[in-house]
Amino acid sequence: MELFMQEASSFVTVLVVAICIASAISILYATGLRLWAGSAVDAEGNAHLMARLGSVVCFAACVAIVLFALWLMIPVFH
Amino acid sequence: MDIVTLVVVGLVIITALTFDFTNGFHDTANAMATSIATGALKPKTAVLAAGTLNLVGAFLSTEVANTISGGIINEQQVSISPEFILAGLLGAIIWNLLTWLVGLPSSSSHALFGGLVGAVIIGAGVEGVNFAAVLTKVLIPALVSPVVAGLAAFCATRLIYLIVRKMKDGEIESGFRHGQTVTACLVALSHGTNDAQKTMGIITLCLIAVGAQPSGSDPQLWVVAVCGLAIAVGTYMGGWRVIRTLGKGLTEINTPQGFAAEASSATTILVSSHLGFALSTTQVCSGSIIGSGLGKKGSEVNWSVAGRMLVAWLVTFPAAGIIGAAACALTKTGIGGVIGVVLIAIVLAFVIFRLSRRNPVNSMNVNDQSDVKINAETAAPAQAA
Repeated sequence: MELFMQEASSFVTVLVVAICIASAISILYATGLRLWAGSAVDAEGNAHLMARLGSVVCFAACVAIVLFALWLMIPVFH
Repeated sequence: MDIVTLVVVGLVIITALTFDFTNGFHDTANAMATSIATGALKPKTAVLAAGTLNLVGAFLSTEVANTISGGIINEQQVSISPEFILAGLLGAIIWNLLTWLVGLPSSSSHALFGGLVGAVIIGAGVEGVNFAAVLTKVLIPALVSPVVAGLAAFCATRLIYLIVRKMKDGEIESGFRHGQTVTACLVALSHGTNDAQKTMGIITLCLIAVGAQPSGSDPQLWVVAVCGLAIAVGTYMGGWRVIRTLGKGLTEINTPQGFAAEASSATTILVSSHLGFALSTTQVCSGSIIGSGLGKKGSEVNWSVAGRMLVAWLVTFPAAGIIGAAACALTKTGIGGVIGVVLIAIVLAFVIFRLSRRNPVNSMNVNDQSDVKINAETAAPAQAA
């Protein structure tokens, strides 16, 4: 029974953490794409600098997550 | 080392590498099926990338486990002889080939554990098997993995479509294509850092058992190299039948779903391996694809294919076990039996390969249909090869 509880609690942890991280990556990447698409120079020649900046920040965060994943995967680093 | 031991060790090494090959070949689909289905990568490019990353992964992580079975077999009480390992490997190889023939993804590690358990039951008795570990390392993960990954992919897909709903379809498709490629490569790399190690561990433990290398030492460079190559070549050959089922059979996938599925798979694999809950890559990836199908409104999941997959996952362990047990019974008759069982396995593998040629699936036709049948329905007129 104790073993079962232990399994169940680690299952819930994995479930919650996996959902949070997968959602966070998806939000960041999708937001990055959306802001990038919205930051194109429009007909009046206005560049949307804030949108472009936000998009770059989102993509940079995605790159950071990928690098962290590589760090986790490769045992030499830790 | 006498000649009989030498022959057995040689056979174990060759069989282990063959298993490694089928492992790569069976698991290409996990990383690349969605990218191939959405056209984010060309089929040949996808398998080349996955193969290369598997090879790189094999060299990056050579910390092999010091148990073959991860606690499923009581290795203190029962010394695992090379014959048991041989029988277990043969069981796993035959099961991998059978599931490939019918185009179903199944876990190579569960097949290996099943084969070993079957061999140990026949060779050393039931007390050699730790059934609690079978429950926590095989049965529960088989049911839990697709749920965790599926829920993650479901949430990810929903959120993505919520955020991008005002964008043009073309922008969405091409934008997520890049993201999908990167996440698929992460899954392929993590496969290389995990699965090649199993074979390295088997060969190393076998060499230690016969005294060819000191106890507790790391795998030798040639072992790392051949294991990496075997899994990479297997991955490059591509189990196209499994790729078709995962990419086309479960649900129709667009690049945002592919991205969500691969990101969820990579996340679930990494999170579970760092929080100590062993999940199987195959089941994680299949679950993610189902989740991404459920997450997109208007998308349908083919539950009959999903149901067949679930049955395959639950059957993998006992089925490989029965084959492993039969193989072990033969190897117990001596060196003649050992050679005989290897010959039988070669014949079986050849028969399965011949059957697959009746309705071949390859890089050219992988996306043409959504199901894998053994017999072609109509005699295709212009069927080359």
